[in-house]
Amino acid sequence: MTEHVLQLNEVTKTFGSGRTEVQALKETTLEVARGEVIAIIGPSGSGKSTLLTIAGGLQTPTAGDVRIAGERITDLNEKKRSRVRLEHVGFILQASNLVPFLTVSEQLRLLDKVKKGNMSPDERDGLLEELGIEELVKKYPGDLSGGERQRVAIAKSLYSNPSLLLADEPTASLDSDRAFEVMGLLKSAAVKKDAATIVVTHDTRLTDYVDKVYKMVDGELRLQEKRKAERLPDERTDFLEPEGDRNGV
Amino acid sequence: MFLAWREIKQNKLRFALITAVLMLVSFLVFFLSGLASGLAGLNREAVDKWDADSIYLTEESDKSLIQSMMTAEKADEVKGDKTAVLAELNLIADNGEAKNGVALFGIRPDEFIMPKVTEGKPFQDEFEVVASDYLKDEGFSVGDELSLSSTDEKLTITGFTDSARFNAAPVLYMDLGDFQKVRFGPAADQMGEGEEAVNAIVVKGGSGETVPDELERIDSETFIENLPGYTEQSLTLTLMIYFLFVISAAVVAIFLYVLTVQKIGMFGVMKAQGISSGYLAWSVIAQTFILAVIGVLIGFVLTVGTGQFLPNAVPVTFDYGMMAIYGAVLVAVAVLGALVSVWTIVKIDPLEAISG
Repeated sequence: MTEHVLQLNEVTKTFGSGRTEVQALKETTLEVARGEVIAIIGPSGSGKSTLLTIAGGLQTPTAGDVRIAGERITDLNEKKRSRVRLEHVGFILQASNLVPFLTVSEQLRLLDKVKKGNMSPDERDGLLEELGIEELVKKYPGDLSGGERQRVAIAKSLYSNPSLLLADEPTASLDSDRAFEVMGLLKSAAVKKDAATIVVTHDTRLTDYVDKVYKMVDGELRLQEKRKAERLPDERTDFLEPEGDRNGV
Repeated sequence: MFLAWREIKQNKLRFALITAVLMLVSFLVFFLSGLASGLAGLNREAVDKWDADSIYLTEESDKSLIQSMMTAEKADEVKGDKTAVLAELNLIADNGEAKNGVALFGIRPDEFIMPKVTEGKPFQDEFEVVASDYLKDEGFSVGDELSLSSTDEKLTITGFTDSARFNAAPVLYMDLGDFQKVRFGPAADQMGEGEEAVNAIVVKGGSGETVPDELERIDSETFIENLPGYTEQSLTLTLMIYFLFVISAAVVAIFLYVLTVQKIGMFGVMKAQGISSGYLAWSVIAQTFILAVIGVLIGFVLTVGTGQFLPNAVPVTFDYGMMAIYGAVLVAVAVLGALVSVWTIVKIDPLEAISG
């Protein structure tokens, strides 16, 4: 039976009331399974970010249920939702989500300070190597290029072994080559770590990497395309395999 | 502490500015406390030196030493482990080269308020005095003959004693009998034993339950607080120190608030990632604590260093115990100022940070 990491059931979001009422998200049902990567495309203001933030527990829906890793988060307070985010969700944002005064290795150490159960040192080294940032560990975000920053952001989001990856325009600030590279890495990581992944993007070229493409129009989510992702990176991704697989179990 | 210390290391100039402000405020607080302590000493040294428990003045004097007048035999009615009579006059002493305002104390040399002589010898013969060693800095020395304002009698300094200032004037200690001659001239010869005019009876120990008629018993602190100008002066300086605490808290609050507002996006993203408000708030408090401790320590060293170069005319006395308390209060108010930032962090909506 398919295990759905994220389940949205008849979720709606309404802002304002009366004449100023805006329905940002119409009744939406969505399930994302482990290892599945979906893209949500659509124009600005269509409700993509609202959906993503509700999926990540950053805001609560007006109606409907949201479950992450089986836990119903709809009625949880911010403190409890914060715990769910820390344990299950990895965010990759359009702007760098790195702390400017921490080196790359310290970005990961910060997560060790606030959460247990992150990657082992060997896994971490493998992740950094695979993402091509092992030489950058002593550098600060300000010393990195846009592509390097996004790769570090991916490493940071994966470091805590999330079951749900949410990426909001992760390639917006990158040139085409870097965008494809980052998207490839993201796809590989999501598949190998068995994380359910939602990518919100304007760039339809990046949808080649995903399993399903949804289009958001005026708060309504429509499945546009369902397929097996065509583009898969051919780089080594051993570090991302579940521990049992690597040990031949 | 992890975030706090790394941010300080990475933004040295920014945090050096906050530390510098805290250092300057603490320097001012320490210096003012030293000044308050020094000025208080000017008024109370001689009284503290008695280490007395209570002082008896006449009821009608309204706790003013100079207005209190009684005969020395009243001391017989006062119960205490040790009692001493005290007569006091304010005069100008002149050794021919220097003039200085002095407090002339008439005492009995066998009573407990007789000071320990640190240089020279105690008074023995007629019109001899032991002087406060502060007079040495004013050009007075052992053997000097002093002429006094408002009397023709001449006094001779036989020795010096330390910590002997009263109401901002150096003290001259002399025998009570001779004091009567300075105060009353030849009329003093008519006075019998116990008829000497004194201003107060100083008592150490005893229950203090028996207060003779027409006398009032007050403790040493009350006596000092009623010295002319003492309370006003102390309160002024203490108020300045308290205002500095408030200013310190406000400055730190403003600085940290500005820094926090600049980092709202970063904090919001961190909260979105699940890092709790408590962790971030604790980081700001730890940061403030580190900066405040460094600032206060540098301020302390700077104050003590400055104190070494001040002329004796500046009445600064460092009470290290009090400075430690003030230092701790400064750190505490700085942390209190950081609470504004803590509140800001708690109120940050991660959704806005993500949207931004």
